[in-house]
Amino acid sequence: MGISELWATYGGMYLQALLTTWAMTAVSYVIAMALAVLITVMRVCPIRPLRVLGDFYVQVFRNIAGICLLIIIVYALPNLGLTLPYRTCVIVATVLLVSAFGSENFMSGINTIGIGQIEAARSIGLGFSQTLRLVVIPQALRSAVLPMTNLAIACLLTTAIGSQVPLSPPELTGLVSYINTRTTGGIATFLISALGYVGTALVIGFVGNRIDRKVRILR
Amino acid sequence: MSSEQNTGSEVAGQVPMIELRHVEKHFGDLHVLRDINLKVGKGEVLVVIGPSGSGKSTMCRTINRLETIDSGEILIDGKPLPEEGRELAAARAELGMVFQSFNLFAHRTILDNVTMGPIEVQGVPRKEAEESAMALLERVGVAEQAAKVPAQLSGGQQQRVAIARSLAMHPKAMMFDEPTSALDPEMINEVLEVMVELARGGMTMVVVTHEMSFARRVANRVVFMADGTIMEEGSPDEFFDHPTTERARDFLDSIKGH
Ligand SMILES: Nc1ncnc2c1ncn2[C@@H]1O[C@H](COP(=O)(O)OP(=O)(O)OP(=O)(O)O)[C@@H](O)[C@H]1O
Ligand SMILES: [Mg+2]
Repeated sequence: MGISELWATYGGMYLQALLTTWAMTAVSYVIAMALAVLITVMRVCPIRPLRVLGDFYVQVFRNIAGICLLIIIVYALPNLGLTLPYRTCVIVATVLLVSAFGSENFMSGINTIGIGQIEAARSIGLGFSQTLRLVVIPQALRSAVLPMTNLAIACLLTTAIGSQVPLSPPELTGLVSYINTRTTGGIATFLISALGYVGTALVIGFVGNRIDRKVRILR
Repeated sequence: MSSEQNTGSEVAGQVPMIELRHVEKHFGDLHVLRDINLKVGKGEVLVVIGPSGSGKSTMCRTINRLETIDSGEILIDGKPLPEEGRELAAARAELGMVFQSFNLFAHRTILDNVTMGPIEVQGVPRKEAEESAMALLERVGVAEQAAKVPAQLSGGQQQRVAIARSLAMHPKAMMFDEPTSALDPEMINEVLEVMVELARGGMTMVVVTHEMSFARRVANRVVFMADGTIMEEGSPDEFFDHPTTERARDFLDSIKGH
């Protein structure tokens, strides 16, 4: 089967798969960003056990392959009495992974701020949480836009782990296997999905760059 | 003695604005502050001078607890400096601090830099805070820059904004840690002039600086530090013209040399 034939037969499924990939990416990314802020706050707070816990979280989820994480969530959690829908499993695995990397991005954003501004904040009487909210987090967010853009693309690609569980509808990568068990599309089957990923990544990159130019902090 | 010096307050019985009693501080094995005893009267201008590494910054920073101390006592207006929490934040709000590297908030406008403390710490309504901030920026000569961000200003302008930011909190006293040493020579005076005005206005000031002309014009007292101790203190003219210790003489020779 050539590309046009594939598209004629499976076009609707491809679109649905693209929407599934987009939806899982968007949901995972939004949750992961919120979680990354929380983890980062833990990692810089004055309470040592929280700092340790935050660092531990990042070390664990940054250093584990997405697919392993998914397998653990799908096959191990039910033994603990927690059975989640497959789609939720994929999102959870992606969130854990992406939030760990996201926190690393925020940490390097924080490191660009410099202790001087934090001391200045404290010396006008701002407390810990005010200093975080007014000085540290806004700057960390703004200087993390580019790495976070890359991470959004990584998040998009990570949702491909969804091909390893029976999602319905499948996402872009899962659909490739689905079609290839029925027809002999070969590389062309993959090509259409790949276009979906590349197109999305280009849009994410474009938007990220625009945002960065707008919020970048002059130094 | 020059006529510009304000009177200070060596009045018997008056509570000093800042008092350090037997303050000790280590960084690991390094003994940076050794039995520091110091009183700064209300309205007094104290200049701290001494070789690099002698503990001047550390001493300055202990006064608003940017550095903790190992032992001893620090009293602000007669009250012990709180160790942490809201009380410490409140105490810091009453002590201005101006750093060598300005440390303006890079992501906020000049105006926001000055209004942040009053709005967030003191709960002043925004409009009111902005009006007083503009008046302060006017006073330090950078009102036209209010809408810019710090990186768009020269070093001298940034340092004057930093002073305005401290003043916006109506501090009881202000510390300056080498406020002009990161500046190009042509910008030093514009900052020193603002500080002279402050001193004349009766502000209590602790100023770490090697600017002798500034010290002679406005300091009530000069303290010479070396190796974590206060080696010598006296009026600027006494100290600069007739230092009593060998260390102070050597040090003054070395800074007069260039
Ligand atoms: N956070 C720190 N950790 C370890 N050592 C420090 C720290 N801050 C300062 N020191 C050391 O303490 C000593 C005193 O430092 P301090 O900055 O108070 O000196 P200073 O008199 O201000 O010197 P300078 O004129 O160079 O600014 C120095 O030997 C310095 O290296
Ligand atoms: Mg210093």
